[in-house]
Amino acid sequence: MKIFGLVFILSVFAFGVVMMRIEINRSGRLIGKLQSEVQIKEARNQYLKLEAARLSSPEVVRKAASENLHLRRTPPQQIVVLED
Amino acid sequence: MLKPKPSFAYNPKARMKLCGILCLLAPLLIGVRLFYMQTFQHEKFADKAERTIYDYLAEDRLRGQIFDTNGNFLAESVRTHSCGVSKRYVPDKNITINFLVETLGLSKKELEKKWKEKQNFFFVAKKIKPDVYMNMIPFLRSLAGQGLEATPEYERIHPYGDSAIDLLGEANSKNMGLSGLELMFNDELSQDISKRRAKRARRGEVIYDRSLKEEKSVGNLYLTIDMLAQYYAEAALAKAVEDYDPERGLILVQDPQTGRILAAASYPRKDGQSLAFQFTYEPGSTFKTISVASALDAGVVNVNDAIDMSGRSWEIARGVVVKDKQHDKDALTIPEIMALSSNIGAGKIALELGAKNFFYYIKAFGFGTKTDINFTGESRGSVPAYNKWTKVDTASKGYGYGVALTPIQLIGAYSAIANGGWLMQPHLIDRVEYVDGRVDKRAKVQKIRRVVKPQTVETMKKVLQYVVEEGSGKKARIKGYSVAGKTGTAEKLDKEGGYAKRRHVVSFCGFTPIENPRFTILVVLDSPAKYTFGGTAAAPIFKEVAEALLAMQGIAPDRPEELVQ
Repeated sequence: MKIFGLVFILSVFAFGVVMMRIEINRSGRLIGKLQSEVQIKEARNQYLKLEAARLSSPEVVRKAASENLHLRRTPPQQIVVLED
Repeated sequence: MLKPKPSFAYNPKARMKLCGILCLLAPLLIGVRLFYMQTFQHEKFADKAERTIYDYLAEDRLRGQIFDTNGNFLAESVRTHSCGVSKRYVPDKNITINFLVETLGLSKKELEKKWKEKQNFFFVAKKIKPDVYMNMIPFLRSLAGQGLEATPEYERIHPYGDSAIDLLGEANSKNMGLSGLELMFNDELSQDISKRRAKRARRGEVIYDRSLKEEKSVGNLYLTIDMLAQYYAEAALAKAVEDYDPERGLILVQDPQTGRILAAASYPRKDGQSLAFQFTYEPGSTFKTISVASALDAGVVNVNDAIDMSGRSWEIARGVVVKDKQHDKDALTIPEIMALSSNIGAGKIALELGAKNFFYYIKAFGFGTKTDINFTGESRGSVPAYNKWTKVDTASKGYGYGVALTPIQLIGAYSAIANGGWLMQPHLIDRVEYVDGRVDKRAKVQKIRRVVKPQTVETMKKVLQYVVEEGSGKKARIKGYSVAGKTGTAEKLDKEGGYAKRRHVVSFCGFTPIENPRFTILVVLDSPAKYTFGGTAAAPIFKEVAEALLAMQGIAPDRPEELVQ
């Protein structure tokens, strides 16, 4: 009887250990998946940030300003310094 | 009576014991061996196991960003993926091919051809963008996706296109710097975190060993370059290339008060190859500024001295004759020598100064020495020791021949005249900011040495202003602003060792506004296809760039009376 009790306790313990390992693995996979998704989204965000930087580069702005709005660079002679 | 002891063969207990011992011996030996291996040979086997399990992946190397002086992005690494196929693991060829065609937009015909040609593994696409990769993930994780491998790699993106690429250089997909600043500052920009172990599952998933602590110490590089100034310089250079078709060209802009390089445009534009540091040339007349400033500073000539020009021809030594064809005067003052760019005048002044003195001034102005920027491939130029100079050598150095220099050296010398006589340490890097918060300030204003006295500077500013207002540099004039500068048209050495009459280096170096100079600008065009001069080709480019920079920084005219007229 004693032996059966001991075997039962050991089995429960082993089952617990196995379940714990499975849960750890499952959580690990989930975390890994989420992390990779975060990385991808960060990279996408990076692309958008860089695209914004590209669109604000002097060449692009000058082209858009001159072609769409017919603007041109202010000559330095037109600079007026406002005094207090 | 004692029972006789049965022999071993008939003693079951003894036989059982022996069997038991024999049975136990094997696991005991195995146990001992395991104990030995795990205790005494632990490291050896752990290393072996690690080598077989873990890969050191490309993404193990992080790389910092590069910004201009205003914090605009110039270079940043973006994580992308490359996709390869291991044919032997693919369960269904058609499903995999159709997936790749649909997701990556590949040509089915070409993919099938590649599939046929390659033995087992081959790449189907590189630099796959994150959003495309996201669409691939479910398939990669399914059974049908077996055999497809997605490997992380990095793409170095330059939002401003190839602007300033000659300074920045390139980094590869493993985030290693290959040229230019990317290579020079590889240690600061990138961090090898290969200790962060990772193993790759068969379908290309990456499983990290989370037990290792990740410590990031990558740095972001902040340049002194202003991308707007760089744009103006590059646009002006592109226009000059269109107009004059030179072999090479460059525009360099420096803040004379701090030594900071604001723009450095090169033509042709090649990754990590900046002509501002790597181009060596004989400067010609732009070097007369150095000779005259040295002679004035040494007190061997006075600004109002008249130098004899009789016959506009001067025989320096037997058979070596210098001629001035650009004027018909018999004597010239120093401002006139500079304004008319007289070789006879500059040569005579150099002889008056003497080889030894002249050599020391040349060295003091920073020629013949590399700057501390130490850009990859930076040249030190060439200034031979004065004890080897002949009379002809001394005179010819006076008008810029027989001495080779780099643009960064020449602009530094002009900046010294602009800022009151100090040779400043030039800077290309403002600071390195590490992700852990440390800041390594590089562009500290540093005066290397005083080169000429303040009185000499004042005289030279007037002389150079006279060059722009009355002399060869008229096309550099900017209405409302005072400009000082000097033109240069130097003949190039030909293959026979003489000077080629039709191959020139035309240049202009100057600064504005004169009283409180904000920019020193050097324009150099090497071997323009069209025959031209520094005053006609380089001076207008100086004007164009200077006007743009004055407007950019909102610098009010220092000669408003010119605007009223």
